[in-house]
Amino acid sequence: MDESMAGHTVRSYAEELSRLRDAIARMGGLAEQQVAEATRALIQRDSELAAEVVRRDAALDALEREIEDFCIRLLALRQPMGQDLRLIVAALKVSHNLERIGDYASNVAKRSIVVASLPPLGSLNGFQRMARLVQENLQGAIDALVRGDAARAGEVWAADEPVDEIYNGIFREMLTHMMEDPRNITAATHLLFMAKNLERIGDHATNIAETVHYAVRGDTLPEDRPKADASAYAVVRPQDRPAG
Amino acid sequence: MSAPLSATLHRRRRRIEAIVRLLCVLATLIGLFFLASILLTLLWRGLPALSATVFTQVTKPPGSGGGLLNPIIGSLIQTGIGTLIGTPLGLLVGTYLAEYARASRLGDAVRFVSDVLLSAPSILIGLFVYQLLVVPFGGFSGLAGAVALAIIIIPVVVRTTEDSLRLLPDTLREAVIALGAPKWKMVTLVCWRAARSGILTGLLLAVARAAGETAPLLFTSLGNLNWSVDLAQPMSSLPVTIYNYAGSAFEDWIALAWTGALLITFGVLGLNILARSLLRK
Amino acid sequence: MAGIVMHQAGGAARAQVHSATEGPPVRISIRNLDFYYGTNQALKGISLDLPDRQVTGMIGPSGCGKSTLLRVLNRMYSLYPGQRAEGEVVMDGRNILAPDVDLNELRARIGMVFQKPTPFPMTIQENIAFGVRLHERLSKAEMEERVEWALTRAALWDEVKDRLHSSALGLSGGQQQRLCIARTIAVRPEVILLDEPTSALDPISTLKIEELIDELKQDFTIAIVTHNMQQAARCADQVAFFYLGELVEVAPAAQLFTAPRHPRTQAYITGRFG
Repeated sequence: MDESMAGHTVRSYAEELSRLRDAIARMGGLAEQQVAEATRALIQRDSELAAEVVRRDAALDALEREIEDFCIRLLALRQPMGQDLRLIVAALKVSHNLERIGDYASNVAKRSIVVASLPPLGSLNGFQRMARLVQENLQGAIDALVRGDAARAGEVWAADEPVDEIYNGIFREMLTHMMEDPRNITAATHLLFMAKNLERIGDHATNIAETVHYAVRGDTLPEDRPKADASAYAVVRPQDRPAG
Repeated sequence: MSAPLSATLHRRRRRIEAIVRLLCVLATLIGLFFLASILLTLLWRGLPALSATVFTQVTKPPGSGGGLLNPIIGSLIQTGIGTLIGTPLGLLVGTYLAEYARASRLGDAVRFVSDVLLSAPSILIGLFVYQLLVVPFGGFSGLAGAVALAIIIIPVVVRTTEDSLRLLPDTLREAVIALGAPKWKMVTLVCWRAARSGILTGLLLAVARAAGETAPLLFTSLGNLNWSVDLAQPMSSLPVTIYNYAGSAFEDWIALAWTGALLITFGVLGLNILARSLLRK
Repeated sequence: MAGIVMHQAGGAARAQVHSATEGPPVRISIRNLDFYYGTNQALKGISLDLPDRQVTGMIGPSGCGKSTLLRVLNRMYSLYPGQRAEGEVVMDGRNILAPDVDLNELRARIGMVFQKPTPFPMTIQENIAFGVRLHERLSKAEMEERVEWALTRAALWDEVKDRLHSSALGLSGGQQQRLCIARTIAVRPEVILLDEPTSALDPISTLKIEELIDELKQDFTIAIVTHNMQQAARCADQVAFFYLGELVEVAPAAQLFTAPRHPRTQAYITGRFG
């Protein structure tokens, strides 16, 4: 998306592409907001905020449909080529990613209402850090798409590892809590799912970054990006738990 | 533009339109009037003497009947041979101009000369052939007449052939060449065929013109009151016979002159109609 | 997405001669071709390979030289004084621009179909037989066979088999163009050049001819010049983009239209100028 090139010969087409970018930016902003507020609802045990997040998910779904319709229309009517084609296909994929992110955030908010009704469990520092990292990545990815910045996309693409590490920590912590006291199981289980949701949001942000790279550069990033999610192999035995 | 102004403008234009149209129609009527009166006069004066004898009897001295057989045959022979000589020459020159010499100096010169010949007074052509074929051989001949007619036919065929060929799109030529045809095949097998109606029309018009020419024949074949198909001898022709008969003081000759004029006119008319119907195809 | 992109960003492009597909053998190799209309240079140092039995599409804005290049390949320009070509066009090891080349034989091996359908003023049968007779001597039966074969390959046989002896001028535009294609392939060339073959036709006829091109490329090497980028995208295996007499980029069609390397190609295919 080299803006230094001459503008599109057909101005209405250029305007439509611009509107598409704006729509994605709006949807990305909304998704970020959902993630931030769902996390805040958890940390501050704010059930009203959580309910608000759940309600607002419908707006994200509507935006996805709107963007999808728009993209299909552009494909049919404009026969886009080259970078325009890649941008439109990227918008299609990214809107789907964002909609999934919204669903995860909404799920976090729902569960936080339950957790808020139970006694607090652990410090939730991990959650805060993970949410902030994830939000940064998401913001970076959307930014990269709107500005056509492949370098920024590459950064985001490589930045999922810390998120995964935090997730591993939370996973272990929750297992430990559950083994300590069976009354913790309800809260810990919900928190586990919420952590998983946040980790999935991080993955989606990475996917968005990959899509952006293709849209800008026209080639794909290498297959193996830095990943560190070891939770699939995590085992905590009773003798591993910390004393006391 | 305010409404009332354009209304007066329109009215004035409509009036001028009506006037111009009226003038055109009047001019047409005047032209048609003369044309019609000529044809009617020919019919009125020529039909009385038109009978089978016109086509079966040779010219005889006044008062002894007679027809127009030898002038008719003489005209047919001289025009026919003139066409035979003139057509190939005209066709090839026209083809040369259209296919080989579109922008060359020689082509321009040939085109110019041909156009001059086209509108040259035919009596000059007659005099030219007189010097060429009558004086050296000591006598008038049907052949000289045929040659004179050929010289009249050539420029017409050149012009119409060149024009017809030029009307063909260059894409046609390129399509033939792209198949691997040498240029002469492209010209003869495709271009001539594609332009054939135009070329044929031109030929018919040339023949029609030659059939009606009098002046060149006066100095070349002179005319022959007796039956003769000998090309080395003077040969009679319709236009010359009409010229001689019409200027005489004998009524039966004058009547025959009108009939001859009728025959020529309707013959030429027929050829023109034929040419036009061919062009339409 | 990965399947569409065939070359990485820093991928291989041979230094001297541009060719996008390394696989099939090369039928015609254009090397450093310059072309002049009088003193005006219309083609500058063109080097391009036409792979055997593939469709090479040539696109570019008006006046970029793509039609000029096509007409060099069968030396059409020899009809017009003042037009000359320098460089090499190699087919079967011989430079076809050399003065000792028999032009008629060359054109029997490299045929051309033009933008405007040009049926000859003859019957359909004679149209097809005309080209064949220029180069071969066939018996009546053989000729009829060849005519049927050519018309069948051109997807026209069923429509005209009952009126082979009627005038070709009575056919519709799309049929006339297919007739011209049949006429060209009847001579059994190795290469077929198509100069905007469908720009004078309606959409249905256009699609029929594109379908035809897809079948013909099994037996013939095809080069097609087109104004219509979507047509190049549909028909061509490799696409060459020209601009102001220069070859800017050549690549497999899928790559050129999704991720072209040269910014000018990008600008052209997305409509950002001319």
